[in-house]
Amino acid sequence: MAGNWLLPAETTTSGRPVLRPGEVESSLQPSVDLLNEENPNLPPLKSGLLVLTTHRLLWLPNPESTTSPAASAAAAVPLAAVVQILHSKKSIKGMFASPRVRFQVSITPEYKVQEKGSKFTTITLVFRGKSDPDSFVGKFWEAWRGRAWEGAVSGSDSGPGRVELGDGGGSSSSDTGLALKMPVVGLSGILRKEQEMWESTDKSLQDAFQDLNALMNKAKEMVALAEKMRQKLLSGSTSQANAANDEEMGSKEEMQDWLLSVGIVSPVTKESAGALYHQELSRQLADFVKIPLERAGGIMNLIDIYCLFNRARGTELISPDDLLRACSLWEKFNVPVMLKKFESGVMVIQNKSHSDEEVFSRIKSLVQKPDALKTGISATDAARTLGIAPAMAKEHLLAAESKGFLCRDVSPDGFRFYINIFHDIDPNDAYLVKEYGIYDAWIRAAIASR
Amino acid sequence: MRRRPGIGGLQTAAAARDQYRLLGENVAKLRTDLMKEQLSTFRSQLEDFARKHKNDIKKNPAFRSQFHEMCAKVGVDPLASNKGFWAELLGIGDFYYELGVQIVDICLATRPINGGLINLEELCKMLSQRRKGAREAVSEDDCLRAISKLKVLGSGFEVITVGKRKLVRSVPTELKKDHNEILELSQAQGFVTVEEVERRLSWSTGRATDALETLLDEGLAMIDDGHRDGKRRYWFPCVSSVSSFVASETL
Repeated sequence: MAGNWLLPAETTTSGRPVLRPGEVESSLQPSVDLLNEENPNLPPLKSGLLVLTTHRLLWLPNPESTTSPAASAAAAVPLAAVVQILHSKKSIKGMFASPRVRFQVSITPEYKVQEKGSKFTTITLVFRGKSDPDSFVGKFWEAWRGRAWEGAVSGSDSGPGRVELGDGGGSSSSDTGLALKMPVVGLSGILRKEQEMWESTDKSLQDAFQDLNALMNKAKEMVALAEKMRQKLLSGSTSQANAANDEEMGSKEEMQDWLLSVGIVSPVTKESAGALYHQELSRQLADFVKIPLERAGGIMNLIDIYCLFNRARGTELISPDDLLRACSLWEKFNVPVMLKKFESGVMVIQNKSHSDEEVFSRIKSLVQKPDALKTGISATDAARTLGIAPAMAKEHLLAAESKGFLCRDVSPDGFRFYINIFHDIDPNDAYLVKEYGIYDAWIRAAIASR
Repeated sequence: MRRRPGIGGLQTAAAARDQYRLLGENVAKLRTDLMKEQLSTFRSQLEDFARKHKNDIKKNPAFRSQFHEMCAKVGVDPLASNKGFWAELLGIGDFYYELGVQIVDICLATRPINGGLINLEELCKMLSQRRKGAREAVSEDDCLRAISKLKVLGSGFEVITVGKRKLVRSVPTELKKDHNEILELSQAQGFVTVEEVERRLSWSTGRATDALETLLDEGLAMIDDGHRDGKRRYWFPCVSSVSSFVASETL
């Protein structure tokens, strides 16, 4: 098995890596080989997508070049296992070969990559594409030095329980908790403690917002503080409804609104993905739309998706053009969603189960019901049965007509559609009725109505 | 049985309890006030940073995600670019894209109430509320410009004029369920009037008129201005045959 000396990595159905909580992508590099020059017995991973995150180095197989199935597993090297990043030697020879980056990782005696392993080995990355290895090495160093994985190990970084902002859990207890503690500490003690707590929070706020670097260093603390404030405000205004004035209610609603809008922790950006931008964006979008699509009943306006997707990305806005391009790339990937454009110019995203074939087969079964055989169906009937808007139903009926499934009848009552039985009629003998055909069924229905 | 304490003892205990409670309430109130104050500082600082250090924040992916988390948790909209000179002049830059996202956001949030049809004036007001941190006010013209940027994504989002007012329609006809409701309503008599739709479904005038006009354009409705009460009737022959109602009316 190829790559089993590395750790396995999960991918989504559209081929995006599954990231861990707090993990963020920083760079993507196309067609990179990952090999071990010291031990040629280990099969090299050839020409895949290299993803650098704050926690791991991921190698994903290239879906287009379908090599042996064994090689198609995604692999990961935790940055925690990286011991040293070697400086690349500049040489004349190196100018013509593909650029290489080497780094040492710790391994177990069984030759598996592991944090704090007893032995070391060198992994070589070969950049075959037109990429910029120098900037990659820079980001590699940054991520490795950042040691983001350590915070994740030492405890849930977003959990409200692990907040160390001078309040030591006293604030999370409700009024009853306060009353219980009163005899122990004494009233002045509690008040003093409250005072200290607020002062320390004030101070940490001040410190953090001095400049951007300070905020970056204190980011995790501030995220915890934000979470704590949110929790308190949400619980506070429900328990003391009388104290909740309009302003407070307003801000409470605001917060709940906003909670819906966080989603994509690691958005694909032009900077991280480079030339792969649209491709990766397309995959991320495909993964993202699944949930909102399901909620909306399988079909959604493209503009709604534009808003939701951008909201989930935070400040990393994408332009409408980029979104359109990402959607149009779906045809190339095996994703369960598709872009559809109506005659009217409206564009929607729909599940593939909402595709034309699916709808046509439902319409066909609808027009073959005994009543429909007699009197046909209108757009309104179709809208009710299919659970869609009349305008959309009409669109589907006209499309089905143009495919030859339906025939129309125009009368003062409007358009009505019937099953097309011309297929069943033999041009040489119009009176020949094939048994158990649609023609036969239609005749039976017509006779029954008399 | 325990011996009951004297009335005096009871009263003292009650008084003490009252005082504790009063103090507890005071502390709780103080705490809420202080927290609100700190929260607003936090918010305004975040807003400032989002504006000032936008590009620096974007450069560092790990910090960016933390920054977004903070913003989301305390309810700050991280989209707060200033319009700037070039945006004003040429319509380039993030400003109009940001507005666009915020506009669609508002339309989505109010859709359960208004069915995807919102007054431009109202939209503008809500937008300004959301961007209260930003120094510049957002004009209706800015809104229109931002909406025009969304044209690439199909014609599902448009500005229509009903009477003197401008309305923004965010649900395309193809996805609109309003029409189904009107058809459902019309089944009783075969026709509806604007007033009836407004009353029975408690919709705004614009919403009812827009939906009925669309049904007319689609060829699903027929209008009848000739009735005695002078109200326009929208007939729906598709719901049930016209002839049956004509017959019943003449009887």
